[in-house]
Amino acid sequence: MDLDLNVRKEGDHAVLAVGGEIDVYTAPKLREKLIELVSDGEYHLVVDLEKVDFLDSTGLGVLVGGLKRVRNHDGSLRLVCTQEKILKIFRITGLTKVFPIHSSVAEAISDTAE
Amino acid sequence: MTSSEPAPPVVHLAFPPEPALLGTVRLVVGIVARKAGVDEEGVEDLKVAVSETCAVAVGDLTWAGLSTPIELDLVEEPDRFGVEVRDRAPAGEHAPNLPQDGEVDDRQFGLALVGALVDGLHSTALEGGGHSMRFWLRRSREGPPPLP
Repeated sequence: MDLDLNVRKEGDHAVLAVGGEIDVYTAPKLREKLIELVSDGEYHLVVDLEKVDFLDSTGLGVLVGGLKRVRNHDGSLRLVCTQEKILKIFRITGLTKVFPIHSSVAEAISDTAE
Repeated sequence: MTSSEPAPPVVHLAFPPEPALLGTVRLVVGIVARKAGVDEEGVEDLKVAVSETCAVAVGDLTWAGLSTPIELDLVEEPDRFGVEVRDRAPAGEHAPNLPQDGEVDDRQFGLALVGALVDGLHSTALEGGGHSMRFWLRRSREGPPPLP
């Protein structure tokens, strides 16, 4: 089991595409990547979860940590997700009120620009 | 077997408390639950609930310095699919709730998730030390849950 993390730049945004399963075993890798991006001065992040097969509470915690880090720099962290099984986890935990969740990367980026 | 006796487990797993094994555990839960006729949404709910419960056990055992196996029973009953996770972490030995910088309490978050996803959740202390977490999912989730 591994986690695929790919970063690309789109204008002012860093888009982090995540693939695989985010759990207590793999979440540290995601945490390290988010910390690295913020350390590199990337304060507007889009995390694309479309290829995530599984997300647990540790993964949620890491995303919340990432959000707090970018907010410390007046930045933003937006999520891209259309998978019902993943969206359900955000809804149950009330995090749909914390994270802007979009149906595409393009939508996430254009929303930040408004 | 009389009707008052619990159904025997369909699958029994015992595995060391290693986070790397949780993906395999989820895979087994998914296969067994699907075969038992649980719908896809229920399968995903069970995978999250089992993974969260096992992750708590992994954390508690690791914190206690123990490598005793975690035991998982998957039980197929006529109207529901049951899960029991047992660990031998001493009572009161919980991994510290020390969220990393800016994060949330994974343990509380995880257990809240389990409670929201399954139809029944019972936690008991085991004789001789350890914990048992039992929960189940009704096969048909239309209407209110049956009385315990």
